[in-house]
Amino acid sequence: MQAEVIKQIKFGIFSQEQIRKLSVAKLTVPDTYNEDGYPIDGGLLDQRLGVIDPGLVCKTCGGRAKTCPGHFGHIELVRPVIHSEFAKIINMLLQATCQKCHRILLNNDQIGVFKEEMERELAPETTPAEASADKHSEQDMLKKLKSVKKCPHCQTVQEKLKFSMPTYFYLGERRLKPDEIRDMLAKVSDDDLKLIGVDPKTSRPEALILNSLLVPPVDVRPSITLETGERSEDDLTHKLVDIMRINQRLEQNINAGAPQIIIDDLWELLQYHVTTYFNNETSGIPPARHRSGRALKTIAQRLKGKEGRFRYNLSGKRVNYSARTVISVDPAIDIDEVGVPQAIAEKLTVPFYITEWNLEAAKKLLERTEYPMVINIVAQDGKRKRILDTNKEELLKEIKAGYVLERQLQDGDIALFNRQPSLHRISIMAHRVKVLPGKTFRITYPATAPYNADFDGDEMNLHIPQTLEAQAEAKYLMAVQNQIFSPRDGNVIIANGEDGVIGLYMLTQDGTSLELEEAEYLLGAAGIRELPKAERDGTYSGKAIFSMLLPKGLNFESQSGNDVLKIKDSELVSGVINKKAYAAGGSNKLFAAIAMQCGFEELKKFLATSSRLAYAYATLSGVTIGVKDYLLTDEMRKEKEKMIAETEGKVKELIAQYKSKKLEPLLGLTLRQSLEQMIMVELDLARGKAIQMLVKNTSSSNFAMLMATSGARANVLNLEQVSMFLGQQATREGGRIKRGYYTNRVVPHIPRNDSSAEARGFVGSSYSDGLTPIEMIMHAVGGRGTVIQKGLLTQRSGYLQRRLANALQDYYVTHDNSVRDVNNNVIETIYGGDGIDPTRVSFAKQKKE
Amino acid sequence: MAKDQEYNVQAGEPVGVIAAQSLGEPGTQMVLRTFHLAGVAATIATSGLPRIIELLDAKKMPSSPIMRIHLKESYSKSFAKADEVAKKISEIKMRSIMKRVAENFASGKILVILNEQSMQAVDLTARQAAARLAKELGVETKVGEHGNIIVNTHTKNLKDVRAVTVKITKAIVNGIEGAGKAMVAQEKGGEFYVEAAGSNIEPVMQVEGVDPGKIYTNDLFAMYRVFGVEAARNTLALELKKTLEDQDISVNDRHISLIADAMTADGTLQSIGRHGLVGKKESVFAKAAFEETVKHLINAAAFGQIDYMRGVTENILVGKQIPLGTGSVKLVIKRKETKKKEK
Repeated sequence: MQAEVIKQIKFGIFSQEQIRKLSVAKLTVPDTYNEDGYPIDGGLLDQRLGVIDPGLVCKTCGGRAKTCPGHFGHIELVRPVIHSEFAKIINMLLQATCQKCHRILLNNDQIGVFKEEMERELAPETTPAEASADKHSEQDMLKKLKSVKKCPHCQTVQEKLKFSMPTYFYLGERRLKPDEIRDMLAKVSDDDLKLIGVDPKTSRPEALILNSLLVPPVDVRPSITLETGERSEDDLTHKLVDIMRINQRLEQNINAGAPQIIIDDLWELLQYHVTTYFNNETSGIPPARHRSGRALKTIAQRLKGKEGRFRYNLSGKRVNYSARTVISVDPAIDIDEVGVPQAIAEKLTVPFYITEWNLEAAKKLLERTEYPMVINIVAQDGKRKRILDTNKEELLKEIKAGYVLERQLQDGDIALFNRQPSLHRISIMAHRVKVLPGKTFRITYPATAPYNADFDGDEMNLHIPQTLEAQAEAKYLMAVQNQIFSPRDGNVIIANGEDGVIGLYMLTQDGTSLELEEAEYLLGAAGIRELPKAERDGTYSGKAIFSMLLPKGLNFESQSGNDVLKIKDSELVSGVINKKAYAAGGSNKLFAAIAMQCGFEELKKFLATSSRLAYAYATLSGVTIGVKDYLLTDEMRKEKEKMIAETEGKVKELIAQYKSKKLEPLLGLTLRQSLEQMIMVELDLARGKAIQMLVKNTSSSNFAMLMATSGARANVLNLEQVSMFLGQQATREGGRIKRGYYTNRVVPHIPRNDSSAEARGFVGSSYSDGLTPIEMIMHAVGGRGTVIQKGLLTQRSGYLQRRLANALQDYYVTHDNSVRDVNNNVIETIYGGDGIDPTRVSFAKQKKE
Repeated sequence: MAKDQEYNVQAGEPVGVIAAQSLGEPGTQMVLRTFHLAGVAATIATSGLPRIIELLDAKKMPSSPIMRIHLKESYSKSFAKADEVAKKISEIKMRSIMKRVAENFASGKILVILNEQSMQAVDLTARQAAARLAKELGVETKVGEHGNIIVNTHTKNLKDVRAVTVKITKAIVNGIEGAGKAMVAQEKGGEFYVEAAGSNIEPVMQVEGVDPGKIYTNDLFAMYRVFGVEAARNTLALELKKTLEDQDISVNDRHISLIADAMTADGTLQSIGRHGLVGKKESVFAKAAFEETVKHLINAAAFGQIDYMRGVTENILVGKQIPLGTGSVKLVIKRKETKKKEK
């Protein structure tokens, strides 16, 4: 698809001559527009530099605002100035060459060695390691040139050269003027420059001292017209005006024969303006400011950083054929579908490439006057026309092979779906479009996991691939069902949870038995029109119903702890479907078995049907929670209070022991640390006991508990905190809370030096009972810590990921299974030692078994 | 060639990016979780994201260094023998065992008053401390009547005496500098070994009873210096793996391996970032798009460098297809040969 290919890009410095040749206009007037609002000839917006106002014609190319690409001009500086950004390099070059004969400060023998090394470095048989060793030794030699006292060629003793930021050079005590520096650099021979590593063909260093300054086209620095009709110029234009003004003043003074000191001052000022023109954040000089006091954004600022040209405009771009809206759930669609609102589907288009074989179909499509119809037509020359009632007839006759119709999005089209932050590759997946009423994008619950999405107002983006290649790649490499196994750890990531888990958990219990009507309802919901074999009493077991969803020919057995799950010939023989077996995570071995034995399409189907079955059964059996699920019985409340009292007693005892120095310190800790440690263990123990107590005393019909034990949502700890007590609140350092008010206490209401449980953040109340004021403070301390931590962490991990991706992005697997970078350096001889795809590790493991 | 073709990675797969994402994506989940794990925190070691960053930065010294020192057979069998070695290693600073110092400028002597309690805790006698102090500072020391150390500076110059005093408080009186507190630990198999909360393995290897080939430290550069790049690579991979496991984050070993391999591929330890792997890239654009944009462009211009457009970033910048994945597939027919065949 690519006709012209950029093979390489060479960097260099424009020489004086090149600048003059490139320039279409020598600019002399330090102003922009005249009173009539037209660009001044010889001014900074000279019409030879291109035009941006509609209506004007470029004096160089004759183009208008849209067609003229802009042309460079130049300013002749009456006195040369140093290009400040290159000052360090100028310093390096001056240090490396003789002050008199301007030869490189290496003797002939060293030059010989140097040349040899450089040749070897470039030779094809040299390994990268050897090349970098050579480069190192070269650089070492160059570094030493600074301390060479006497030129080995002309024997001149070298004076001390001092460089001070940003653009001052001194030879001994004497300040070197830019023209002197230019003369010195100009005398360095091409051969010597090559030794230093400079390519003299494109980067003669004397060009770093500027005699003429290249002025970018107006298109680079367009002026904007405000609502008031006032013209506002670009920062670069402002800066160029400054440069030209000083340049003019300097010229007048020189011509008038002003004293040297005045000329030098103005020269200095010219240098300042040129320096800030290139980089307004140059260290050591104050930034040039706008009238309003805002620092000007000059060339370096345009390129740099997150909002600079590189990261903002070149590495990433705004795109067409995309849509964004709020997401919500739809359990009725497939996991690899995305529900697209009708309004969006009518706006987005998919190209229909006309060939001689589908011309008839194209015409039929073009004739349509409602929903899936053609919006635009693209002729062979790339001109795009909107279809209107007025031109339809004409276009119907005109279209032929090579034309492209842009038709409205319809069911089955391929779309890329994305949610930011795009932390991993499965943050963008390919879905099949399903046009639906409403205004939100719809996805299924299982598809939320890789996006880390929920439906509390999240928005997501949709992109429509436009070429057939892109559509094919998306469909075969990025489809949702191909991302069920995470590339991070090979575990299942796209799976059901919550209602999906609890439904199947209850359905597949041993005792579950259903009437015919119920069975029909459930299987109907899952889209199955057959019934399994009935039990002797005419009922249907839950397991049998679930088995109807399993793909044909599936055999599976797994054991985790005491739970055995056995599927024989697509029949759930024993075991219960719970979170471990069915939801996302490393313990889900079932999905890998289905994918291996029956394929990904079957796995996708199983996911969809089992979800619907689960939701239907959860609805049928009335899964619900209420306050009563969290209420304690009177006996339990008594027991809990007893336990807390006991724990507090133990803590008090420990403190007493500590105070009487009877406490035995733990290995490697001071007495104080030991006490803290022991108290923390004691408090932690209390919570453990509470959880056990709760599990023991809760009935099996308690849905809150059922949710936790099936793994559908929440865990027993959450339950415990609601109905028993919160327990110890942690701080960022990991210890108990001890600061807040002065004299080492959290609040003034606590006695000094009280290190009892409640004084240091132990909360003995539950969420349902409510917290005491002091407990509330303690809880807030913990909560605040979490918020702070989270902010800190996202920042740090975001930068880490950027660094990692930048460092490793050039590595890929070659056909011999080795990992190489794009320069063909081997990083690993066989990827991961065995060449296995991380998304297929669980497959490889199961196969071995 | 790997044996099992069926589940192999596809050629062109950008495994580097996948590894980067696999480590970066769970970053936000880290440490937050330790909140829920209140309780036993025996050693307060750097963990979670800070530790991962430290490893990938290839920091010269970890913020909580640890050594695991295995002993020769004759020492590893009994606790007493092992403890003997631990005592030799365990670093004790004068500051931790003294109460205060008194200078006598007239006589040029310095009296170091020791804290008996803390001396007992670390099992050190005044005589031992004095001897070591003499060796460390090159001064004359003796133990006074009340068990205090008297240092004779042999000078009456006020400044010189004070200089010695400052040195005394900083001096090491036992063990190996940087080794930290060393303690005996026992392996599941029953063997004793020494664990130290510092890292300086070169001198530790010389200690009598230490098996010099079986020292582990979480200090990457020490491993690199002493045992070589491969050891450094393995340490890096192991430390990454341990840190992730601590946080209950599962990341496939392949990703961790690749990162460790990338950081050590050229035979040295390189960090992930502008001073390491990214900074050493060949492409001017790739470096400029990452950090220090202007610096890289200026250098490229001054030396007349060429960007060969081989990497990912460069090609994205100019709008070309990247040379990885489906973009790595090229048609490889030589024109000349096909022409010959046609004839």
